Amino acid sequence: MTRPPDFLVGLSDSLKGRLVSHAAGVVFVAVALAGFALSFEANAPAESAQERHLESYLELNGVDFGDPLDRALFRESLDRFYPGQAARNDSLLQAIDDARVRRWSGPGLRRGDTNRGFSPALLPEIAWQFAQFLLVYILALLGIYFGAERLGLYRFVKWKQGRESYLGESIRIVREYRHARANSRVRFPKGAVALDILKALGKGILTTLFFSPAYVIAYALKTSVDTSSLPFMILLALVSNGVLIQASNRFFELLVAEDRKGYVRTATVKNLHTSYEWNAKEGVPVRVLYRISQNLGPHVLRHLYENARFQFIPAMKELGSFLVTGLVIIEMALNIQGRLSYNLLQQILFGRYDVACVIIFSIFLAVKGTEVFVDTWHDFERRRYGF
Amino acid sequence: MWCAGIGCLFLWDEIFLNAPAFDRVRAALFNTLVSGAGAVFLSLVLGWASGAAFFLLEQRRARYSFALLSLVANAIRSLPQVVLVLVGYVLLNQLILAEIIRSETAQLAWVTVTVSVAVFLEVSDTIRSRLEYFRSLEFIDAMLCCGISESRIIHREILWRNSREHLLHKLIALFGVAIFLQCSVDFIVSVGLSTNVSLSNVPLTLGSLLASVDSKQDILALSNLFSDPAYITEIVVRHLQGVSAAFCIVFTLVCFFMIANGYARSRRLNGP
Repeated sequence: MTRPPDFLVGLSDSLKGRLVSHAAGVVFVAVALAGFALSFEANAPAESAQERHLESYLELNGVDFGDPLDRALFRESLDRFYPGQAARNDSLLQAIDDARVRRWSGPGLRRGDTNRGFSPALLPEIAWQFAQFLLVYILALLGIYFGAERLGLYRFVKWKQGRESYLGESIRIVREYRHARANSRVRFPKGAVALDILKALGKGILTTLFFSPAYVIAYALKTSVDTSSLPFMILLALVSNGVLIQASNRFFELLVAEDRKGYVRTATVKNLHTSYEWNAKEGVPVRVLYRISQNLGPHVLRHLYENARFQFIPAMKELGSFLVTGLVIIEMALNIQGRLSYNLLQQILFGRYDVACVIIFSIFLAVKGTEVFVDTWHDFERRRYGF
Repeated sequence: MWCAGIGCLFLWDEIFLNAPAFDRVRAALFNTLVSGAGAVFLSLVLGWASGAAFFLLEQRRARYSFALLSLVANAIRSLPQVVLVLVGYVLLNQLILAEIIRSETAQLAWVTVTVSVAVFLEVSDTIRSRLEYFRSLEFIDAMLCCGISESRIIHREILWRNSREHLLHKLIALFGVAIFLQCSVDFIVSVGLSTNVSLSNVPLTLGSLLASVDSKQDILALSNLFSDPAYITEIVVRHLQGVSAAFCIVFTLVCFFMIANGYARSRRLNGP
């Protein structure tokens, strides 16, 4: 008999409480959205009995009311079934013609509205769009998680080196040159200063790019790139809307907060490595920036990283929600047809709020699923550390 | 830095952008900033009230009220903010069609309220965490023993005297979020939902300005830089309306992110 995974055995009471809370939330939102959708259907103008009666004629197989031969045959059939009621049969044919005109020239059809409201037949289409949405969301969330840790680590090491700002670095070089020039003849370090200024410019451009709303980036690239492709959407979700920058900043702040704690001084006294020079003997290897598992050896950064990572896990809930917001904005603003959010925009445009409720509920489930996963993961990590 | 950047942009627009377009950019920026500031203020009020309510209900062990409030708050938290704001715009659409809301000020106020409802829980969470932190400290029990009322301890001693910096930091960050949400939804609404509502009646914001045909053409022109980098000279002179609107949005977001960060670092607000 196989043993279940450790993280499923003996869920803690706090996690159980949170899972119950999540389940209650799902039920609450489902009931609220269902109630709204049903009230919308109840208030919608009901199709009259006559309309339904005419629909049954319009849906007859093999009868084309635009074809004169079919119309004549239909008229003769009516006379056969309802003899002596010529006026009634003429009125029926006229009513069918009026219904055809309404069907093909209504205001809804002019907007491209061909559906009649929610029906189970729409579910496979919505499910497929939701699956695509989830794929982009999960890949982007993974990218943000790992990217945020790497960027946060890089920034923290630069901060410990005192080289966080390239402009500050160039000013420091100029000051050192002035001081050195007073004592001996030295050349102005043009190359180093120019390089730092270029780096500062590049950093500014990247920061601007990362903070740009997705629709600005996408429209700027629209004529050069297929903005509806999945890889581009994942990349756009990663680099735009400030999600990655904010996530990396959050991780960086956690590392800084850990660095201020007392155990760091204790670790230093106990001869753990504290140098932050890249690839130095007791420094930080560059490989920490691209390896998933961090083996930092006897370096105090290893403990800072583990503690910060533990505190960063719950922040993924908030980042996940913001990422979903970003993805919805991307799909709506770029009018990417066949995608979940664009479908939601269309349903709102057509006033079919019952279908919109179903789509909103599916997006809600994506966020709720993230919260459940993050809570379970955090609880597993908490028990692993023995809390 | 933000003022300097926007000032430089306005100086450039004064020289190279035609007057009607420049007026639109100024009006859009003003409306967006006013709406963002209003959303932040309302979020503070709602977040303060809800955070204190959560804390008091938990303290007084009012389980059912606390559970109900938690249920509603968790539902709002799990719904993407853009969906909440979009629902607000749909309702605004209906109110405009029914001629219940007519003036631009009322429409802007409605947008402000909608955005604040989507973001106020962040303030509420900050307040709850501060109250939880202080609950364990001895001076709170000492004040209770001295007969100071619980509400005075919460509102004046804990939140006003000891948590102002944390709240200010959160509000600065929230201003950026409010601007981002409003511009994004304005853009989406202007592109997709404006069929039944005349665009001339809805107040102009940076998002709706960016969604106009002229501005979209200006942003599309940016892709010419890949094939002809020298086209940058044309971008900053001829395609100025869209570039100015995009610059205002991005620059505001970057600046307020840096202001919030700098403030947190200077006050050492990281951690409990």
